[in-house]
Amino acid sequence: MLLTRKTDSAPTSGPRMRRLAGSRISTMDRRTFLKRSGLAAGAGAFASQLPYGVIGPAEAAKDGDATKVETKRTVCTHCSVGCSVDATVVNGVWTRQEPVFESPINLGAHCAKGASVREHGIIEHSHRLKTPMKLVNGKWQRISWDQALNEVGDKILAIKKESGPDAIYWVGSSKHNNEQAYLMRKFVSFFGTNNCDHQARICHSTTVAGVANTWGYGAMTNSYNDMQYTKCAMYIGSNAAEAHPVSMLHMLHAKETGAKMIVVDPRFTRTAAKADEYVRIRSGTDIAFLFGMLYHIFKNGWEDQKYINDRVYGMDKVKADVMAKWTPDKVEEVCGVPEATVYKMAQMMAKNRPSTIVWCMGQTQHTIGNAIVRASCILQLALGNIGVSGGGANIFRGHDNVQGATDVGPNPDSLPGYYGLATGSWKYWAGVWGVDYEWIKKQYADGMMEKSGTTVSRWIDAVMYPNDVIDQGPNVKAMVYWGHAPNSQTRGKDMIEAMKKLDLMVVIDPYPSATAAMCAMVRKDGVYLLPAATQFETSGSVTASNRSLQWREKVIEPLFESKPDHTLMVAFAKKFGFDKELTKNYQMVKDKDGWDEPTPESILKEINKGTFTIGYTGQSPERLKLHMKNQSTFDVKSLRARGGPCDGDYYGLPWPCYGTPELKHPGSPNLYDTSRHVMDGGGCFRANFGVERDGVSLLAGDGSYPKGSDLTVGYPEIDHVFMKKLGWWDELTDDEKKAAEGKNWKTDISGGLIRVAMKNHGVHPFGNAKARAVVWNFPDGIPQHREPLYSPRPDLVAKYPTHDDKKAFWRLPTQYKSIQEKNVADKVSEKYPLVLTSGRLVEYEGGGDETRSNPWLAELQQENFVEINPKDANDRRIVDGEYVWVQSPTGAKITVKAMVTDRVGPGTTFIPFHFAGWWEGKDMLEFYPEGAAPITRGEAVNTATTYGYDSVTMMQETKTTLCQVVKKA
Amino acid sequence: MARVTQLAAIAFGAMAALMLAGCGERPQVIDYKQGKYQGKPDEPPYAAAPFNGNKDMWERDIRNRTQNQNEYRRIGS
Amino acid sequence: MARMKFLCDAERCIECNGCVTACKQENDVPWGVNRRRVVTINDGVPGERSISVACMHCSDAPCMAVCPVDCFYRSEEGVVLHDKDLCIGCGYCFYACPFGAPQFPQAGAFGVRGKMDKCTFCAGGPEKDNSEAEFRKYGRNRLAEGKLPACAEMCSTKALLGGDGDTIAEIYRQRVTSRGKGSDVWGWGTAYGRPEAPTAKPPGAAPGTPAAPGAKS
Repeated sequence: MLLTRKTDSAPTSGPRMRRLAGSRISTMDRRTFLKRSGLAAGAGAFASQLPYGVIGPAEAAKDGDATKVETKRTVCTHCSVGCSVDATVVNGVWTRQEPVFESPINLGAHCAKGASVREHGIIEHSHRLKTPMKLVNGKWQRISWDQALNEVGDKILAIKKESGPDAIYWVGSSKHNNEQAYLMRKFVSFFGTNNCDHQARICHSTTVAGVANTWGYGAMTNSYNDMQYTKCAMYIGSNAAEAHPVSMLHMLHAKETGAKMIVVDPRFTRTAAKADEYVRIRSGTDIAFLFGMLYHIFKNGWEDQKYINDRVYGMDKVKADVMAKWTPDKVEEVCGVPEATVYKMAQMMAKNRPSTIVWCMGQTQHTIGNAIVRASCILQLALGNIGVSGGGANIFRGHDNVQGATDVGPNPDSLPGYYGLATGSWKYWAGVWGVDYEWIKKQYADGMMEKSGTTVSRWIDAVMYPNDVIDQGPNVKAMVYWGHAPNSQTRGKDMIEAMKKLDLMVVIDPYPSATAAMCAMVRKDGVYLLPAATQFETSGSVTASNRSLQWREKVIEPLFESKPDHTLMVAFAKKFGFDKELTKNYQMVKDKDGWDEPTPESILKEINKGTFTIGYTGQSPERLKLHMKNQSTFDVKSLRARGGPCDGDYYGLPWPCYGTPELKHPGSPNLYDTSRHVMDGGGCFRANFGVERDGVSLLAGDGSYPKGSDLTVGYPEIDHVFMKKLGWWDELTDDEKKAAEGKNWKTDISGGLIRVAMKNHGVHPFGNAKARAVVWNFPDGIPQHREPLYSPRPDLVAKYPTHDDKKAFWRLPTQYKSIQEKNVADKVSEKYPLVLTSGRLVEYEGGGDETRSNPWLAELQQENFVEINPKDANDRRIVDGEYVWVQSPTGAKITVKAMVTDRVGPGTTFIPFHFAGWWEGKDMLEFYPEGAAPITRGEAVNTATTYGYDSVTMMQETKTTLCQVVKKA
Repeated sequence: MARVTQLAAIAFGAMAALMLAGCGERPQVIDYKQGKYQGKPDEPPYAAAPFNGNKDMWERDIRNRTQNQNEYRRIGS
Repeated sequence: MARMKFLCDAERCIECNGCVTACKQENDVPWGVNRRRVVTINDGVPGERSISVACMHCSDAPCMAVCPVDCFYRSEEGVVLHDKDLCIGCGYCFYACPFGAPQFPQAGAFGVRGKMDKCTFCAGGPEKDNSEAEFRKYGRNRLAEGKLPACAEMCSTKALLGGDGDTIAEIYRQRVTSRGKGSDVWGWGTAYGRPEAPTAKPPGAAPGTPAAPGAKS
């Protein structure tokens, strides 16, 4: 068979190709061959649709002589590391991408996803959702934008009229940039409901709650770069090598220069392969392990007693609890780690300070997630590692802007900046928005304005539960999935029922997402798909995990008929009648189709105007853009600019960047760092929980304060009374006095209180207090281990039972004990003896439809699989590479390829969560709109996951449930 | 005498035709040199702009650019 | 004299496949053609190591030696390239290459790529530099732009180094001196008889045997 020189065109069909190929290579068996040449599931079907549409400079400049070549600097849209990308755009076509070596965050490095973002600009054979679509009689039909906006708008208004605004659930996105996420919260508020949420709920909601309640802000305390100063890093529940690959650049450099690395994980992950020490623990037993470490730390006197005396409240109570409960035998019984190993890890962390702890979903996605993360915090407080460069609690967030969306975006329980939903907060934001408070109040149903909404992890119950048990008027009748995937939430089988029951489902996304396929599988109509633009088709700021804000330039105009999310929000606002209020403070421009679009710069300016709590006030668009242009002037380890136009700033002005942009606060690279002046990025712990408790002062000890402060003792947060008492009131200008009278630092719209306190006196506006090792507003004041609802150890369930059921929690009854007890009674752990955990792959991100539509990524992971230990596989006569059924106690079953490996220990299985597009063995290709299905599809692990929610934030328990794996007959 | 000249002329003509035929024809067998590249010529990377043949400049640029893969340059130890 | 080389630091490679997709993206490589791949040994157990492999641009390239139509050539910088117009797709280079670098896409489906394709060190091929013809047949010519291969420039942990051999060696040397180990993947420990840990014995040395020549105690 001669491979002749190229001829023409018609691509050969699948079977013919295989025959030809087979005749050439007869020694290789077909399976290996198919695997090698990529003719596995999916590839054959689209072999004729290869993305060969790269247009070189010559072709792009076909029409006309003037070739416009531009370089746009943007930031990858996938994870929260925030790698910069230089996009070459020729006559509006994205032709190339180049690494940005100047960026202090990634120094030009990318993972598989970042190196292939240019695919977002390819038009030929794109799997994007290209036009608005409507499900008509089970088939997807193209409709115009006019029709889409009108029909969807009318339907929503009808449901709102009949059932109230809370009947519509708006799921926003952690992939929106800051401006879009912020606008979403405003939009939903003006619509009249708090039923909004985004991916943070199912990612780090427990972190935010747990950490904020311990010491002030619920965010990564240091940064990826700062890890270069660490002497010992413990990754517990984090697979950074796959979830945050470029962060490993910093960690491995640190390791090369002497740092130690420990990985604690039920799986021997790729991160563990780089560690000095690996500890295998049972999923969900982190508290036993962490407190087991703390036991040894206390026993050997390794804790930092001075630090504890000055800056921590309640450590003595914790010590008493830990020494009594977490002796080595109990630790080993619960988490499976022997005393010698726990001791060794404790010693490593204690003797190699500053040491840091890194966690991700492994710690957060449990019913006791809030307690687990607090256990990590307590460990670090005991070692005196918080507020220290090289130490800290380095929480790696997930999506590119989950941090920003959490900070200023659509949270059901707060307004932008974590201001909460009390009347005072509403009035404050109404002031910032320039809107009448009473008008906003009228939009809401009675009594609902100050009530937290339901969470995205439970929207299905808000639809399905009997109306008398849910804490809102009518049930949720309409869902708007605005930049969110469905297959990342648990209980897929229940979700499909909820999708059947809805009156209306709207998906606004650059890709149809699994929502489209799931709905088309079970419904005939009532579903709309609206094409949104990606983050490369708009500009805006994005907050990386280390709290740095980066500004993205718009690379290309929105492709096909897609529209940027903020433009769509305005369009819907017009339909709903509040566009004037929504866009009051913005600069409006017309886009290429004449639609009204608020400029991201003007939205950011509004965020700057109002978000004092977390210091989003100093990061003006001008300062951020200057940073992006001068990245090379920033030092990589400290993130500080030395010389150049940004001299003194920290890269991206990591929040809190207090005060107005004129104050020129440099940002805070490491939180709570008392070794620096507050105007130099320093800080202390927040005074948020009162001045004293049980006779013990909650304020910081004498002599513990940010460097150079005029106040050398602990103090509560700054307000006008405080200022007057200290005699500093007159340092405010007259305008500032007018604004600050009767206000505190969070509600003083002039920023004067902050300016005087910080600049003139080195005083931290949020006070100087102790971190709380014991809290009193959580179900467990000191973290307690509780077995997961679907526990593999009924004997331990008796010793460490879960919480009591809750009647009304985020508007819904939430079960704990009743489910756990039933599982024990029904012997679920015997019928489903394997622990099922899920997690990430480096090639894909989130729900996966976006990355599985990129052929360069899709080729690398073509099928969903289950990692199963050889012992468990042999018990079931399962052979590596064969398809098996994974069965869940819910009755769901999914079919995946078995990967027999020692990566997981006996008794544990792992399935990546990025796949969707198969339903219990059936390919859902036919249910996607034509040409818009992802290239690779597979079962969603969450079709088979179970009930279980965190006791504070309603985080889903995805990291530990039970399953059985059987050979496919 | 005329007959000899005629024959000679014919013989000469035939021989000339043969010789001329030899000149106009191409060799039927490729003159193959084992081990030498037989394809199109390629320019060195520094041929085009911005280097325009300046090999030293190109090498210097490349050496410098290689250091972008060395984070020690920017970070120190 | 710049001699182009690749070196993948197995201590740093985290199998992120950034190099793989960077190459795919930069050279518009079709599905099924794997110019660069990451190979992992001991997957899932302690001792797991990954290394990114593509064409090694050998000095005495076996592919060049065996090609029946001699379509290979080496540039001055040491990059091994070939002329697709001459290539007959026999696959002999594929047999000869110890690294599996030559790739053969399916006939007919990929336009001009129905011939052997492999990593070009982002140096294009024997068409005019930076022309569309060169791009369509061979991919990008980054060397002609004064840049280096996309895979090495985009590596997530800077494990994969690609560029002038001397500079690369220097970079790698600095890392190894800093970390004090890592080259044992390539057998330095075995070659020089130096144990990794102070208590470990050099492989194969029984007590009392004379030290091997060059071995340090």
